[in-house]
Amino acid sequence: MSHVAFALVLALALGFFSYNAQRLVRYLRIGHDENRLNDIPRRAWNLLRIGIAQTKILRDPLAGPVHALVFWGFLVLQVGALEIIAQGLIPGFTYAKILPGPLYWLFLASQELTAAAVLAAVALLLYRRIVVKPRRLQGDGVHSGDAIFILSLIGALMVTLLVTSATDRALGVDHPAAVQPLSAALAQLFASVPHGAVQAIHHVSWWLHALLILTFLNYLPYSKHLHVIVSLPNTFLSNTSGPGTVGAMKKMDLEQETEVFGAADVTHLSWKNLLDGYSCTECGRCTSVCPANITGKALSPRKIVVNTRQRLLEVAPAIVGGDDVFGMPFIGAARGDAESRAALLDHKLLDNFITEEELWSCTSCRACVYECPVSIDQLEIINEMRRNLVLTESRFPEEVQPAFESLERNGSPWAFQPSERAQWAEGMDIPTMAELWERGERPDILFWVGCMGSFDDRAKKTTVAFARILQAAGIKFAILGQEETCNGDPARRMGNEYLYQMLAQQAIETLNRYEVFTIVTSCPHCFHQIGNEFPQFGGNYEVIHHSTYIERLLADGMVPLKHETGEKLVMAYHDSCYLGRYNDVYDAPREALKRALPVVQLVEAPRSRDKGLCCGAGGGRMWMEERVGQRINVERKKELLATGAEAVAVACPFCMTMLNDAGMKLESTVPVYDIAEVVAARIEARSGDGEARPSEGRSEAGE
Amino acid sequence: MKIAVCIKRVPEMDVNFKIAASGKGVDEAGLKWDMSDFDGYAVEAALQLTEKLGAGEVHVISLGGDVVQETLRKALSMGAAKAVQLKCDAVPYDAFAIAAALAAELKAGGYDLIMFGKMSIDGANGVTQFVVAELLGLPLVHACSKLEIAGGKGTARREIEGGGELVAFPLPAVVSIDEGIARPRYPSLKGIMAAKKKPLEVRPAQLGEVRLTVEKMELPPARAAGRIIGEGAGAVPELVKLLQTEAKVL
Ligand code: SF4
Ligand code: SF4
Repeated sequence: MSHVAFALVLALALGFFSYNAQRLVRYLRIGHDENRLNDIPRRAWNLLRIGIAQTKILRDPLAGPVHALVFWGFLVLQVGALEIIAQGLIPGFTYAKILPGPLYWLFLASQELTAAAVLAAVALLLYRRIVVKPRRLQGDGVHSGDAIFILSLIGALMVTLLVTSATDRALGVDHPAAVQPLSAALAQLFASVPHGAVQAIHHVSWWLHALLILTFLNYLPYSKHLHVIVSLPNTFLSNTSGPGTVGAMKKMDLEQETEVFGAADVTHLSWKNLLDGYSCTECGRCTSVCPANITGKALSPRKIVVNTRQRLLEVAPAIVGGDDVFGMPFIGAARGDAESRAALLDHKLLDNFITEEELWSCTSCRACVYECPVSIDQLEIINEMRRNLVLTESRFPEEVQPAFESLERNGSPWAFQPSERAQWAEGMDIPTMAELWERGERPDILFWVGCMGSFDDRAKKTTVAFARILQAAGIKFAILGQEETCNGDPARRMGNEYLYQMLAQQAIETLNRYEVFTIVTSCPHCFHQIGNEFPQFGGNYEVIHHSTYIERLLADGMVPLKHETGEKLVMAYHDSCYLGRYNDVYDAPREALKRALPVVQLVEAPRSRDKGLCCGAGGGRMWMEERVGQRINVERKKELLATGAEAVAVACPFCMTMLNDAGMKLESTVPVYDIAEVVAARIEARSGDGEARPSEGRSEAGE
Repeated sequence: MKIAVCIKRVPEMDVNFKIAASGKGVDEAGLKWDMSDFDGYAVEAALQLTEKLGAGEVHVISLGGDVVQETLRKALSMGAAKAVQLKCDAVPYDAFAIAAALAAELKAGGYDLIMFGKMSIDGANGVTQFVVAELLGLPLVHACSKLEIAGGKGTARREIEGGGELVAFPLPAVVSIDEGIARPRYPSLKGIMAAKKKPLEVRPAQLGEVRLTVEKMELPPARAAGRIIGEGAGAVPELVKLLQTEAKVL
């Protein structure tokens, strides 16, 4: 009889679950199409690494291992859950009937130990939620009650599991006590309890456990714990990890007939962006590393994702038809039953959920994407919405317009004339591509200088330094000179894809005209753009960042360096986002520094390498005022100064400017050098060369 | 409310101009071109007027070769409804000749308001709008920094030395626009796409008689480089002497 009852309950539970699953899938389909099944090996690797091995979770040294334990425990306990279901349907079933003794004992032991471990972890996590209340678990509509409920449910599952096996033993089932140490101990407690009562407890406990499993399953679609189901597929389908896909913005088809460019609402996002919404665990790791959020701006990447989910669940029922069962919205969905369909459709993600101000605060540093344990791409949503603001609505901070206009007119975000582009090279005997071409020669490499390196007085010193290194190493190189134009990265990051594509195409035309193959650049933004995004438009080049190039030259002994030993300089290297998190270049600049100053003492800021804090200039923030909160560059500079460094090293002209400005604000005399300058200062002096050495140039800070 | 805005295509001004071989104009090689700044303010002001009134449309008119279509398209992408190119191979220097062509076009248009920038930033004559107003027999308000239209009447503010001047005028009228009235909007991609489908009519310009031509153009003499006289207190007498005799400022 009870098996019939169980079968009924099971059918009901599975039916309800599949209804919900279908509903959620139908909602996803209001997003537009996108192929996420290419490059299966990379995806599988991400699934293993990030999904199963939980590498991202483990980046947090405290909560990480505990959560990973719950996850792995969850996997192990699924085997037990299947047994329970089978038991419910087939009278008297146990794995013992199909498994040889020792293997079955292994199974028992695994369940028992896991249950104990998970129970301990749950207790810890509950303590953290209720007593410790870490900052990253607060705010942005985080559902703490939901988390506490789920944790209690998991706890109850473990308790009933243990009670069931303990009463099993008390009722005479005889497995070696060694494989069930806890149950064995518990069973002692039931020794004096009457047989009938033990049987009743066993029965109740088994049913409770089975029902809890089914409750858990059906609660998920109404909770942020949906991530239990979708985070693995989400990791598999994500583009956030793997060469060639990291950080490259999506190419837009500008010819399409459409009223809306970019995303103003969930219907303009891809289904994958929407799946990101389902996957969010609200852990707040993204927000806790977001430089904008840290310094008091309105932006919170978690909120972006949670809002996307909220808006989806608000509007999707009205679009696909059909209401939420029992009027029970998924957690986080606005309870808008009373609102008419028209009012729902009138709302949108932009403005009603996410403000302009939030979107413009993003520095595109990718810290959020990097940190997210379930491979959500918060930045893609932000970028799509910025595109909408610019391309559809022409809404952006006032300061941005001159940059757009100058890019259009002068091919540079600053109003400099192209004729001034190569002024830094005067008297240096550096050929342009055009000159070489005319002589029928080809260089080994093209030095792509970039707008900042061409026009900014401080950055020009880096440009000169790098050119000196190339000359000292005897590299045959050329520049484009007047013919160089901005690669368009600032326009693209600020949402102006139209302007970007014009600039990118122009740059690619120039490069192709000279059959350029290898490009070296001292700007990480140019490096990323030309290397990772130009291929979208048929521009395929080998692009090397100057840090890597310098490091190779030094390793090959091609740069004649002075051999001095006396000097000892404590230096902190600041990782730039577009070099590090976008392109995985962390070691080359550090190595170059060490080789240039054999006695250098490299110190690391607490946030460095892939955890490095942005300088605040990326994503077009260079051209926008920072009006709210503390300044990102000042925060960063403080952190670098706190290491006790006597000099700060950078490998990006944007970081250079930002950290110099911060230095002025902090009245610090600690200088900022580009790695090229550090190396160039060590080049074996030719007669008459009066190069300043890094240690002599401290007063230069804050130029 | 039907508004016409007359716009001109001009070179970017912040470059080092070279005189063309003819000696009668600038060398156009490598120059970048765009709508004249004041005309941009006028287009924006016109768009804002129709937006505020919730009715009417803005037409833009430019005189010149086919290159001016680019400038007209820009105005269309900002939101103008229609563009007219008054085609001529060379834009004369004479404002009267131009004004005659514009007036011929404007007369037939039935416009409530005709707008200009207060002057083109290349020629900087600031004359055309006066001649047009005269030819059409309409009132003219020059260099407005604020403009309002209500009940078939216009009011405008003009900045004058040490104060402002508030004027009222009947429609139709000609106004020219000073800066500060409105910053021209940045065309959205949506606007650019929409502009491709808007009408751009081309008609031969009925230029008036050209009575004014440029004979010779020259660059200002290059400034002499600075000179170092000496250092410290010893250099003062010499400096004072030079300021008296050469610079004649003392
Ligand atoms: S990319 Fe950086 S600035 Fe933007 S939301 Fe993510 S962490 Fe914040
Ligand atoms: S987006 Fe990722 S990192 Fe941010 S709260 Fe959600 S799950 Fe956590």
